Amino acid sequence: MLLQGLALSFASSVAWCVLFNVPVRTIVAGGFAGVIGFLVYSILPIYGAEVLLSTFVSAAAVSLLSQLLSIILRVPSTNFSVAGIIPLVPGSLAYKAMLAFVNNDYVGGITLATKTLMVAGAIASGLIFGISVLTIWKGARYAGKRAQRD
Amino acid sequence: MSSDLVMDTCLLAGSIILKNGGETYRTEETMALIAKAAGMDDVNSSATPTSIILSFRCSGFDHTRMVRTPKRTTNLNKITLVNDVSRQFVGGKINLEQAYRTLREIDQKKQIYPKWLQHLAAATASGSFSMLAGGDWGSLIPSAMAGLIVNLSQEYLEQFVRMKFFTEFSAALLGGLFALLTVTIFPQLHLSIIIIGAMLPLFPGIAITNSLRDLMAGDLVAGVSRGVEAMLTAVSVAVATAIILSFTR
Repeated sequence: MLLQGLALSFASSVAWCVLFNVPVRTIVAGGFAGVIGFLVYSILPIYGAEVLLSTFVSAAAVSLLSQLLSIILRVPSTNFSVAGIIPLVPGSLAYKAMLAFVNNDYVGGITLATKTLMVAGAIASGLIFGISVLTIWKGARYAGKRAQRD
Repeated sequence: MSSDLVMDTCLLAGSIILKNGGETYRTEETMALIAKAAGMDDVNSSATPTSIILSFRCSGFDHTRMVRTPKRTTNLNKITLVNDVSRQFVGGKINLEQAYRTLREIDQKKQIYPKWLQHLAAATASGSFSMLAGGDWGSLIPSAMAGLIVNLSQEYLEQFVRMKFFTEFSAALLGGLFALLTVTIFPQLHLSIIIIGAMLPLFPGIAITNSLRDLMAGDLVAGVSRGVEAMLTAVSVAVATAIILSFTR
């Protein structure tokens, strides 16, 4: 079951890479970012993590991985992160929210829509977290070099 | 070094990045780096998702120019190539004329994957995402076809409508109608799974990630405007889905 999920997340991430015209040599790496995201996203709930936490951690993992890949392969990190977050998109939550609104269940709809927004926010903050970790590291190295020079 | 060529090169590099879905902070940074490496003083660059302004001082004269980028697509390959060119120029491996010529070539380049492959990719993305959302093997083909229809109609409607959000709305509506039709013919399929998969090609992934990168880099105007773009896309898809769902009641 997990293996099937991994294959599917790889397929959808690679497909998004093709949709966004990423360079040929980075396609497999983009699919790999999607697989890592999905792996973290599906393993964390086994240890009792809430959906928000697992989304946040997996988005952060995708973001960190794409930063590293961008340094290794010398291409902008957007190439990987855009495709990597695709398996995390809260599609079914958004759908359920819409369904509730259509069925005049406005309270349930707002609950589900808020949940969707929270998950989207978790993806966003995970991405930001990944970016800022590397920025802090770079800044620390820069500060260290300046301290040596002075 | 003539300041006109520096200006042309910088603006060309910036507009390629912006036109093809790059972040605005990357646009500003690339232009400033090229101009500084070409020996210009007092370099200031500013970009929003629709326009670029660059100004610098060259032997006592100030030069400022602005270009607008009305039409935007997504082609990350071109951004990568421009990134390479600016790295090479800043590193001193090529001179300014070579850089300008390479940039012109990059600007003329077509998409690296043919159209049919992109539509196939949209179908693959939709099919596999619908299965990730809990579908079974039987729902793979219908949702892949729905995703294909969404992507095809998004591309062809854009040529007639020329309005991004209405195009997305109509594409979502057509994909949803196809899903509805499939479920009416084969009642054992789940409408929800097919619709969740079908709407995936419309997901504003680039807009969301770019908006976050811009906000993180301190570009508040650019970040917020990209965020609003993503919100509007999401809302138009959601409304189209709601209209489709209201037929099932």
